[in-house]
Amino acid sequence: MRGHWPALVVFGLAALAPFFVRDAFLLDSLILILIWGTLSAAWNVAGGYAGQVSLGHSAFFGIGAYSAALLATRWDLSPWLGLMVGALLSTGAGLIIGYLSNRLRGPYFVLATIALSQVLLIVASRWRGFTEGSEGIPVPFRPGFWTLGFADKATWVYIGLGAALVLYLIQRHLEGSRTGHQLAAIREDEDAAQSLGIASRRLKVMAVAGSAALASVCGTLWAQYVGFVDPFYVFSVDLSVRFALGAIIGGTGTALGPFLGSFLITTLETYLRATFAGIGAGLVGIYLIIYGLLLIAVVRFVPQGLAGWVRDFARRR
Amino acid sequence: MCIIRASVTAVPQLLVSTVLLGGIYALIAVGLTLIFGIMRVVNFAHGEFLMLGMYLAFWAFTLLALDPYVLLFVSIPLFFGAGLLTYTLVMKGVIHASHNVQIFTTVGLSIALQNVALVLWTGDFRFVRPWYYSVVVRLGGTAFNLSQIAAFVVSVGFTVALFAFMKWSYTGRVMRATAQDRDAASLMGIDTDRVYGLTWAIGIVCVGVAGVLLAPLYPVYPTAGLQFVLLAYVVVVLGGLGDMVGALLGSLIVAAVEVVGSYVFGTAWKEVLYFLLFIAILLIRPAGLFGQRGTETLGV
Amino acid sequence: MIFLSVAGITKRFGGVVANRNISFDVAAGELVGIIGPNGAGKSTLFEVITGFYRPETGEVRLQGQRLTGLSPDRVSRQGVARTFQKLRPFQGMTVLGNVTVGALQKSHDVKQARKEAQEILERVGLADKADAYARTLSTGQRKRLELARALATRPRLLLLDEVTGGVDQGSIPGLVSLVQDLHRAGITLLVIEHNMRVITAVAQRIVALYLGEVIADGPTEAVTRDRRVVEAYLGQAYAER
Repeated sequence: MRGHWPALVVFGLAALAPFFVRDAFLLDSLILILIWGTLSAAWNVAGGYAGQVSLGHSAFFGIGAYSAALLATRWDLSPWLGLMVGALLSTGAGLIIGYLSNRLRGPYFVLATIALSQVLLIVASRWRGFTEGSEGIPVPFRPGFWTLGFADKATWVYIGLGAALVLYLIQRHLEGSRTGHQLAAIREDEDAAQSLGIASRRLKVMAVAGSAALASVCGTLWAQYVGFVDPFYVFSVDLSVRFALGAIIGGTGTALGPFLGSFLITTLETYLRATFAGIGAGLVGIYLIIYGLLLIAVVRFVPQGLAGWVRDFARRR
Repeated sequence: MCIIRASVTAVPQLLVSTVLLGGIYALIAVGLTLIFGIMRVVNFAHGEFLMLGMYLAFWAFTLLALDPYVLLFVSIPLFFGAGLLTYTLVMKGVIHASHNVQIFTTVGLSIALQNVALVLWTGDFRFVRPWYYSVVVRLGGTAFNLSQIAAFVVSVGFTVALFAFMKWSYTGRVMRATAQDRDAASLMGIDTDRVYGLTWAIGIVCVGVAGVLLAPLYPVYPTAGLQFVLLAYVVVVLGGLGDMVGALLGSLIVAAVEVVGSYVFGTAWKEVLYFLLFIAILLIRPAGLFGQRGTETLGV
Repeated sequence: MIFLSVAGITKRFGGVVANRNISFDVAAGELVGIIGPNGAGKSTLFEVITGFYRPETGEVRLQGQRLTGLSPDRVSRQGVARTFQKLRPFQGMTVLGNVTVGALQKSHDVKQARKEAQEILERVGLADKADAYARTLSTGQRKRLELARALATRPRLLLLDEVTGGVDQGSIPGLVSLVQDLHRAGITLLVIEHNMRVITAVAQRIVALYLGEVIADGPTEAVTRDRRVVEAYLGQAYAER
């Protein structure tokens, strides 16, 4: 259990929250923190551990959200099936993007990922006959486990927590394992990694495809929780940036960082939204201005992120 | 048969539309490719400066009744200043940082600027409607909006001036030398920091001016830059990032895809076309796009 | 069987021929020096052997197994390790982490790999730096780190690109004796080196390149006195003035 105690504290507190907190608003915030944190963690698998920075992860999120919503509304199928179909489709899309990552480095890869999410946005918002186009689709609420319909917020806290724990453990595995060491080597210097016998191309594709599938699962869960899929939201570049931002602020390549980052930005967003909601609708943009400035400041002054900073500080002592 | 006849008569219109559109795209793309070519930075905030240009035109027109074409002359020093300011505050500190740090810095700048516009001016669509807004010029079976032609002429003039500046002026040469070899340039006493600041500012002027020119043609809103800049990325990747002549050709190709694509498939799907074109280009000849691997270590 | 055979390698970049019809063999356990003035094609040859460049013609074989056409990682798994002329340690990792990555090629267990890495660090004299980040090391220490990392893959053939280049005078003897140790331990080595004193100290045999071609190949003594080799170097000395 060495090194797991900060996570135990964080996830333990979240697990206890439903027993003490009855306020729906606070529980809602907690659920969103967990879901966005899990998404940042999924992004972190490719962007942080393998160094394949994507700004198109909303593509996979959207695939997950749409798969479950469409299967449920069109064919009356269980969202669990939608979750798996979405994960499969996203793995496919992830394989394509992963393949691209072998031919494109740095900004080129980022551009390709943005392009993917934008193509999906256009398809989802224009293909009226299938996706209802730009109006989006309401996700039917049918109570029960097989239909992933829970009116109770506490249940959603545990679903979010479960997803978060899975991602936390995956990341911890990446830190300690052979594969994790090899991915880190690729991130640092791909040529040097290859010279040590690391099959970097295969590993990168796997990391990106895995990250895509995980993001897709979160997309399904999110859509089931929120109950509505809007193409302009789920496929937006802003959302992709949000996933990355959580991981960067918390610390790329650290297992707890994405959750920490998600806690910070979600709390900030909730607080600022509540503060400015009465004054004027346009003012909600203020939290996004702060996001932007925070991003600029963090990559420049604390590139290792909060968790990374704490770790380095502990090591230096 | 009917379709064929229709397409034959449409050819002149499609051709001229392509050239007009391509000229404007070129001005957006040239700034982007200039910044990449010399600073090795992809400016993800490029579209936001375009948006600021559009808003500048909108407010000058609404509040001061200033025509966008008059405003052009004022906008050049304004955007140059905005460029120098953002360079000093934001870019200067990360010019030697890794790609990822640079990417997120410009992404952060983009988010911040977009939302400054949202907070200050709301998300409403706004329109600049000068008297010539609805003037249509007809010429040999083709028809165009006057603003489109004006935007094209100014764009081309601007692009040509930039080319001349880069090719013949001393400063332009210094900039190109810095692009070729950062270290050698600074050893030869070139103040690379000044070169980067200047490059950034010139790139911003190009796109800001493009914004002013586009204001009478498209609605103005906080994320208006996004669609154009996505397009500009397609253009510069097509032409080879950092290659200015390539950016011109790329602009024409993308404009052609857009014009012909909208004609054949309808405007709703034209974006899909150029994104597919983009991904195809990335797949087919990426080596030419980001330089031959290992050429920098050649013959050592 | 010949240990390493380089046969008729030609590598072009556009119009420039970096390697022209290069051929030589290396016996198991040999330490061969590769010399030549700047631009002779030494590093290009290394890139070709290690699979980073694909030659237009010719092939490289290691104990009869064809290396040409394999990707760099597969060449490495065939037992060929290398260092880079422009040092490329994993900056954000610790020294031990760097070497562990190398050891993980053959050892699939991380603990085991870490143990091996620790031993190698002792062998190259970096044990006291194990927990330091690679970016904090001096050039000499980085050279040792790259060597350790390559060594951790347990190679049959080790290619060293500029062992002492850019290193302060005081660190050179240590690096030289390290290379000699490796040679004594039975590893076959190809060593690019600019410092003639270093190369004559470690190599029994030298292959000299000039403008992409082999101009001399033989015992160290003979090659260093070869007229063409001397002229090639003198020519460069004049040109550099």
